[in-house]
Amino acid sequence: MPVNIFIVDDDESVCRALKTLLMTYDFEVKTFNSAQSFFDNVAHNDPGCLLLDIHMSGLDGWEVQKRILASGSRRPVIFISAEKKDDATDRALKAGAVGFLQKPVNGQTLVDLISGIKV
Amino acid sequence: MKKIRKVKNNLEEKFRQQTDELRIRDGQLRQGADREKLGADRERQGADREKIAEEQIYIRTKAIESTLDGIFIIDAKKPDFPIIYANPSFYSLTGFSKSEIIGKSYFLLYGIDSNLRVSEEIKKTLRQGKFFHGEMLKFKKNGEKYWCLLRIAPIRDSKGVITHYVGTKTDTTLMKQRDLEIEEQREELLHVTRVGKLAEFVSSLAHEISQPLTAILSYAQAAQRMLKDREPQLREILQYIINDDQRAAEVIRRLRSLLKKNKPAFETLDINTLTNDTVTLIMPHIIAKNKVIKLELAGGLPLIHGDRIQLQQVLLNLISNSLEAMEESKHSTDLIIKTSLKNAGTIMVQVKDSGCGIPEENMKKLFAHFFTSKPDGLGMGLSISRSIVEAHGGHLEAMNNPDHGATFYFTIPVHVANKP
Repeated sequence: MPVNIFIVDDDESVCRALKTLLMTYDFEVKTFNSAQSFFDNVAHNDPGCLLLDIHMSGLDGWEVQKRILASGSRRPVIFISAEKKDDATDRALKAGAVGFLQKPVNGQTLVDLISGIKV
Repeated sequence: MKKIRKVKNNLEEKFRQQTDELRIRDGQLRQGADREKLGADRERQGADREKIAEEQIYIRTKAIESTLDGIFIIDAKKPDFPIIYANPSFYSLTGFSKSEIIGKSYFLLYGIDSNLRVSEEIKKTLRQGKFFHGEMLKFKKNGEKYWCLLRIAPIRDSKGVITHYVGTKTDTTLMKQRDLEIEEQREELLHVTRVGKLAEFVSSLAHEISQPLTAILSYAQAAQRMLKDREPQLREILQYIINDDQRAAEVIRRLRSLLKKNKPAFETLDINTLTNDTVTLIMPHIIAKNKVIKLELAGGLPLIHGDRIQLQQVLLNLISNSLEAMEESKHSTDLIIKTSLKNAGTIMVQVKDSGCGIPEENMKKLFAHFFTSKPDGLGMGLSISRSIVEAHGGHLEAMNNPDHGATFYFTIPVHVANKP
């Protein structure tokens, strides 16, 4: 199970709330308001799971996932989005993500998904 | 019944009298003509002139008998509008025979007139010496419906007194059916567009609302965990917050699935046919706005693969935007739609207007949700259009023309029948 969590979401309040919640489960959490600031501050081989919003201005979630795979990183990615569940889950798994959770995310469901990731 | 029969008998009697009178007058005229003929026996020129006049009368009579429009003449001196002549097309159009028509009031042809209001309007118009013009749904003798354009004009004698009315009936059923079909198609397209806008609107709204709901849920769950076994009352309140947050999320989810977009129905399409069809749908609108649409459709374009309704929706959106951009100015009237082959694998469609153009600061936001420069706009049209074009593998862009107005253009990949 990864200890480090990175959250990328252009909504500051969503970042702060998820971070507060995940910290109660003793995760180390860092948040970023854009994909660019995530890439600028986190090396592709820094260990940790990425919680990634899909609908963002600038680089969107799908594009970020593509770049991560292209860089050779094997970082586990969980998409978190308001998008419709059925379509997005399929697409997320096809894109190589660990999973997809529809907003608003239930804390325990998220933690269960992270706990299942083998490092 | 007796009354009607009496009126009918009176009418027939009057008509007989009139016919007799006409016969006598005709005889007198003929006699006069004969006398004249005798008098001018040696004047060949006069005789020739008469022959020409006779020929003209013959041709005019034949023309009235041969035309496809139903023509009838009403005696204006009688109060009940009796028909004194009807041509063969009138019989075939109405399905009535000669004896059922001649001498009868025009307005009682169909028994008790089915549309009293219209009859009264026609009578009123005619009594004022004006001509009547109207399109209406009529029934043949056998009950069959037909649309007809009815025009009735007064005939005046040399003193200007109205003696007769001449009416023409044109069968417009085929044109009307075509109009109705076009109207139906336009309604369908507008409905799809409205539903599409609503779906897109709800989708954007759902996204905006789900962000704070996500934050609220996470904060509440974090707080619950922080309290662990302490403050049972506070933990209960937090649970209520969590429950209501999830209830709100469920409402949004249901609303979204209610407005689930129909899966696009892809088929092989000819872009020029699609353009022509769309222009036909919006033509009345263009004419009403006094604008001119010019089609520059490249010949021999390869087929594309797409959803007909969705692509029509895009074109319709671009055309209506252009019309609105040209609304302000009377001088800008021309709207050009151009199709062309951009390269071997791509078709390009351009909608070029001569309107007010796009202010530079709006260029970047044009395709964003909720961006609009119209006072009553939702700001969904262009963003939906772009997502439709992109779902077809193309791009939708805009630019200002060098002279004036703007051009919106989109690309669509050429359909490849068998992918390698």
